[in-house]
Amino acid sequence: MNAYLAALQTESLKAFRSKVPVLTMLGFFIAPLIGGLFMVILKDPEAAKSMGLIGTKAQLTAGVADWPTFFNLLAQATAIGGAIIFAIVTTWVFGREFSDHTVKELLSLPTSREAIIAAKFTVIVLWTLTLTLLSYGLGLIVGNAVVIPGWSSELLRSATIDILGAGILTIMLLPFVAFLASIGRGFMAAFGWAIFTVAIAQIAVVMGWGSWLPWSVPALFSGAVGPRAEVLGMHSYIIVALSSAIGFFITFYWWRNADQTK
Amino acid sequence: MNYAIETSDLSKQYGDVHAVNHVSLQVKQGEIFGFLGLNGAGKTTTIRMLLGMIRPSEGNVKVLGQALGPGGRGPWAQVGHLVESPSAYPELTVRENLDIARRLYGLKNPKAVDDVMEKLSIASYSKRKAGTLSMGNLQRLGLARTMIHNPSLLILDEPANGLDPAGVVEIRELLADLAKNGVTVFMSSHILTEVDRLATRIGIIHKGRIIEDLDASKLEQFRARRLEIRVRDFAKAHTILTKEHYSATIHEGSIFISDAHALEAPDEIACLLVNAGTPPTHLAVEQQNLEEHFMQLTGSKK
Repeated sequence: MNAYLAALQTESLKAFRSKVPVLTMLGFFIAPLIGGLFMVILKDPEAAKSMGLIGTKAQLTAGVADWPTFFNLLAQATAIGGAIIFAIVTTWVFGREFSDHTVKELLSLPTSREAIIAAKFTVIVLWTLTLTLLSYGLGLIVGNAVVIPGWSSELLRSATIDILGAGILTIMLLPFVAFLASIGRGFMAAFGWAIFTVAIAQIAVVMGWGSWLPWSVPALFSGAVGPRAEVLGMHSYIIVALSSAIGFFITFYWWRNADQTK
Repeated sequence: MNYAIETSDLSKQYGDVHAVNHVSLQVKQGEIFGFLGLNGAGKTTTIRMLLGMIRPSEGNVKVLGQALGPGGRGPWAQVGHLVESPSAYPELTVRENLDIARRLYGLKNPKAVDDVMEKLSIASYSKRKAGTLSMGNLQRLGLARTMIHNPSLLILDEPANGLDPAGVVEIRELLADLAKNGVTVFMSSHILTEVDRLATRIGIIHKGRIIEDLDASKLEQFRARRLEIRVRDFAKAHTILTKEHYSATIHEGSIFISDAHALEAPDEIACLLVNAGTPPTHLAVEQQNLEEHFMQLTGSKK
């Protein structure tokens, strides 16, 4: 336990003294800000045109300017934006050890490799959950600022489940990114994997197989193609949980057993 | 006998390439073991196997009497290591980098960071980000990390890399001092003079195999000084020197004398040869060269 806490302190220091937390936060804040802009435009498209916010030939199909639409945008952004931004976080935490050649300083220590990897995953989870909550908090502020109708405490409860649920499901798929950053010994393989999974998730949804592909589940959960009860089943959540467990296991296994030559 | 490092038939194979081939080493406690080899000879692969970073294809490793376990487990609380080029987290300061090492070595007292910065002369850089350090200071930071927990065994891969001449001497003295206090030092290098000056034993690795193990007495022979003389008439000079009871030998166009008197007073040899009408064209006290021996062993010099 002491070793884990020591590793957690060092991983936290490494993560939060870099510029990456601020950059990922700014990246993740784009969604509520753009969502707010859409609400302004949808509220009064003619005024938006006259203000120069959109072109005269703009066709917005986001729906109507109200809280349900805004929350739906936020949930989808958490699932799809999270797949990219959270992958950047994970790639940074694992891949930087190889690009900075510091990985050899994490081996042959009284603090076990398992404790260090557990600490890395803890930092990733805390970091990405914080991003989700901050983005959601900013969304509430922006939604209130642009004054849109349809607010209710019941909506707030369901939106919280949608957004946090989409965030947590996305976070559960990050161990694979960590594994790719490890075996790829850097950033490129992991980031390529993240882009690939976003692409195949879209294709699987279009083909109707989304509920069986773990990387499609967060977006489907967020309501991207309709109520989640209609598109997801228990098997979808089991597949995400299994993928998460496999990702954890193979990452730990690799760190424990692979030759470290970099 | 308890060895600080003991390997038997240690091998690492990548496909058809034998990076390390049946290396058996025993390093006694308190020794400074110089591990010499050309680039690609297998030094770093051996060191990584000693540290549990690479799993051997064959053979086994014991460090401080303990066999390395799964997941690279070993007696690392008593071992400091520096592998290849030094590295640090560039956005963190020198102090923060060392504080990370302190925590990962399980040291409670933050003063360990101050102490090791003093020891390695980097205290004035404590607030400097590691990414802005010169190569020499980065190497000092790397060495500080290896020594922060006062280990009883240091495994160092090219410890003099990037250091200026004053830094090289400083680190050499520091390592010699640690060894005097019972710390075992296993250091690899391709810089022979550096190893030659410090090591109490030298192993030479070539193409993955140990081809020479020079203990203290053999090293002493290599460190022996001799007087090198060149003259125009070798036969005449040799006769004169032998008549004066000097043990002169002719080798590759030079006469060599190892007698203590000749080494202390080479001017007398010069006078002797001048008076005999065969003045020296070259007269120099030289140290017999480990480098030459190494070059011949590794086939770098025919």
